[in-house]
Amino acid sequence: MRLKISGGRLFDPANGWEGVEQDLYIDQDRLVSQLSQVDRVINAHGQVVVAGGIDLHGQVASYGLHYLRLWENAPTPQEQGNAYAALGYTHIHEPFLTLNTANYVHRELAALPLVDTSASLVVNLRELDLWLKSPDRRREVGEALLFLLHQTRALHLSVREPFVRYRQDFYAHRSLRPEMTLEFLTALAQELSVKITLAAGPEIIDLPLPEPRCLHLSALGAVLQNEASLAAALGHLEKGATADMGLLPAAAPRQPQRGPLLIDLGFFQPLNLFPARPEDQGEQALSLALRHQGKQLAFSGAAIPSDPSTDYPAMFSWLWDKSARPQNWQKVTALREYSLSEWVWATRTMPAQVLGLTDRGHLGPGARADVALYDLPPEANRRQWRTFLGRCRTLIKGGEIIIDNFNLVRSHVKKTTWFRATEIPSGPLVEEICQQRSLRPEHLWVQPEMGNNWEPV
Amino acid sequence: MVCSGCGCLCDDLDITINGGEVVEVANVCRWGVNRFFNGKKFHATKQRCRLRSPQLRRQGRLTDVTYEEALGQAAVILTRARRPLLYGFTNVGCTAQEAALKLAQALSARLEPADLPLMVPYYQSVKKYGLFLAPLDIIRDQADAILFWGANPLHSAPRHLVRYSAFARGRFTERGLEDRQLAAVDIFRSELASFCHLFVEITPGQDLLLIQQVIGRLTGAPEPAQRIKGARRLADFLTAASYAVIICGRGVGYGPAVEIFDRLGELAAHLRQEKPLAILPLSGDFNSAGLYHLLLRHLGEVGAPDFAGGSLAIHTSVVNFQEVDAILVAGADLWWHLPEATRQHLLARQVPLVLLSPFANQTSTQAEVVLPVALTGVETNDVAYRLDGLPLPLRQILPTDLPPDHQVLSDLRLFL
Repeated sequence: MRLKISGGRLFDPANGWEGVEQDLYIDQDRLVSQLSQVDRVINAHGQVVVAGGIDLHGQVASYGLHYLRLWENAPTPQEQGNAYAALGYTHIHEPFLTLNTANYVHRELAALPLVDTSASLVVNLRELDLWLKSPDRRREVGEALLFLLHQTRALHLSVREPFVRYRQDFYAHRSLRPEMTLEFLTALAQELSVKITLAAGPEIIDLPLPEPRCLHLSALGAVLQNEASLAAALGHLEKGATADMGLLPAAAPRQPQRGPLLIDLGFFQPLNLFPARPEDQGEQALSLALRHQGKQLAFSGAAIPSDPSTDYPAMFSWLWDKSARPQNWQKVTALREYSLSEWVWATRTMPAQVLGLTDRGHLGPGARADVALYDLPPEANRRQWRTFLGRCRTLIKGGEIIIDNFNLVRSHVKKTTWFRATEIPSGPLVEEICQQRSLRPEHLWVQPEMGNNWEPV
Repeated sequence: MVCSGCGCLCDDLDITINGGEVVEVANVCRWGVNRFFNGKKFHATKQRCRLRSPQLRRQGRLTDVTYEEALGQAAVILTRARRPLLYGFTNVGCTAQEAALKLAQALSARLEPADLPLMVPYYQSVKKYGLFLAPLDIIRDQADAILFWGANPLHSAPRHLVRYSAFARGRFTERGLEDRQLAAVDIFRSELASFCHLFVEITPGQDLLLIQQVIGRLTGAPEPAQRIKGARRLADFLTAASYAVIICGRGVGYGPAVEIFDRLGELAAHLRQEKPLAILPLSGDFNSAGLYHLLLRHLGEVGAPDFAGGSLAIHTSVVNFQEVDAILVAGADLWWHLPEATRQHLLARQVPLVLLSPFANQTSTQAEVVLPVALTGVETNDVAYRLDGLPLPLRQILPTDLPPDHQVLSDLRLFL
């Protein structure tokens, strides 16, 4: 289909467009500079036109996540996909895929309709400990990780625990300190020319990062314990690390009486889906987002993996509207307000850059035609932004109109799971890693039966 | 090749096919091998009778009919019923389970998982006390204490012991059995007694008291007046563990399962303050985990979904067969499971049965309509979830003329 979006105000920080009135043209699944004939003209006068949103930390498919539904009235995947689309999102990135759970994650992602998906392969450094001790084997490690990235159909590399520790005293001699693993990971990221995501933790925040520009800190706000860690986190960002905000909702956990939900995937600490959070952690996270003046932060939420999108409109409004911030968060009431361009940067441009999706997150010619249109009159005040930007009037994904005049017009559109194709052959390290599994390698690799339409970036 | 014999879904089978027939299967247990040679469980020499043609019961005898005739009659039976029941679905692939859920919705029927008496109390306990979830790999690598409660994996999941629990060599349990302590609790002395370090034999109904005494000992409660033999050693066994797993078998489902899981949940919650402890229900059916995953994903709860009256209710207790007036069975042998009194009651009320099965079984002897289906994971592709909730592809290796069960269920919906 050939479309023209006429008269909208374009916000695209990547191209320096800040409310510029300009027509956009879509030919099939790409944005193009001009079309002589179009099939449909979308009148966007009085509307804001931005690229489709990308959720960098949309925990929607992690192993064990469905158990959350025992406690919470969580939406079905269908409802989740619809909610993301209504918000103007076109791509959801699942941050937690491991070698064992790759098939599981992809099956869950396949059940999420409308939006494109991708996932981060979380590497357990314990499986590489002997290699990490030998810098001369870094190339081997890099090749093994790229091979696994391809076979698990993942887009991005992530490290949850940038250290090696064992519960068993007998293996204590094989422990590795974060300083050593960070050095290795940094060098590895430089060699592979990729960003490696670190799940931010207290151990990382207080350490100097060898080359921050190679690293992305995931859900950074959610681990800030005090002013000192906030200052350290801001320092990492100033030195070039990127991060996502990890904002937390203002309200207390809805059902404090629920039991723990711990998922042990072989890391030193099990994944805790109901973590206890200090009362002021949400305030610290927002404080980080507002105090950072550069362009290193992407938007993300960190608290409700069963339904990440529910709290997003409120969190957006905290960024751009002082009066929307929780009354009792006194540290943040006077801090700056995001401009519309900064919001677009944090929710579109920056996530696309972190994931290496060069044709997304902007509206330049050649970009993928993922476009969201919001009603936002120029005269609207910031208090009204939440109403206007919390629901898109039109959503176009891959050139297909999904939401038209606030209504979902296509419940089934082609959706794709994007992965990094590396075509690197297997090696001895891969064999070593797979030897420890109960499944044969061919069943660790993602299987076509899991129902996704995978495409390489 | 993945074996669809039980919930272990062993993926290391090597199969030799010659001239369209399986001639050899390696790395398989005595149960699994019979999936490929149509033998009876644990009796390789006894052949199971394959159902080849759709059948209707006429004047008391099953007679061959066309697929459409059988579907038509099944649709008549199910649509005429006021309280239809779909039963089983723990031994079918995920696609068939999804089709069954849609069919239940279309029929305003109740869908009853075959292992509901075991699994629903487990989930109720999870809801109350929380969950520590670990894939089987992690259990194999880390668990140094495994307690089998009313479970005999040799009969329900034969290779569980060698691949994941008792004898398996893991990353931190390199010497297998020597690196682990095993205990079992059962109402009779099972084969596990020959290699478990502690075997506690109890009388039926003593489970609750035993758990109570173990909790009491762990929490420092006063000694009970009437001690159960083994309670103290069991408490010491759990205290000494650094990473424990309690594997609950179908034996739990035959007793007061809700109360047993509730107490085990309490015990686990207490021990989890100091160490990782997982409770793992061992259903035995090869895709039980898939069905509960589906229910959680689409309905947000586990149990028996009931669409009667156009609204959804989730039942957590076993169906009262006196209320149902038509039953569709797939992926289970209902008649084998039922107590004699219930069977007689169903016969007396002439409750019609519709059966989808690859093999003749006790249910087929009573069914009004028999629809033969392809054998999942041998004659048709599908996906199944392993005991620990990880999905695996089941692949067709042999040709067949028979339709897969999900297709029959979907076709049946068209006939309603």
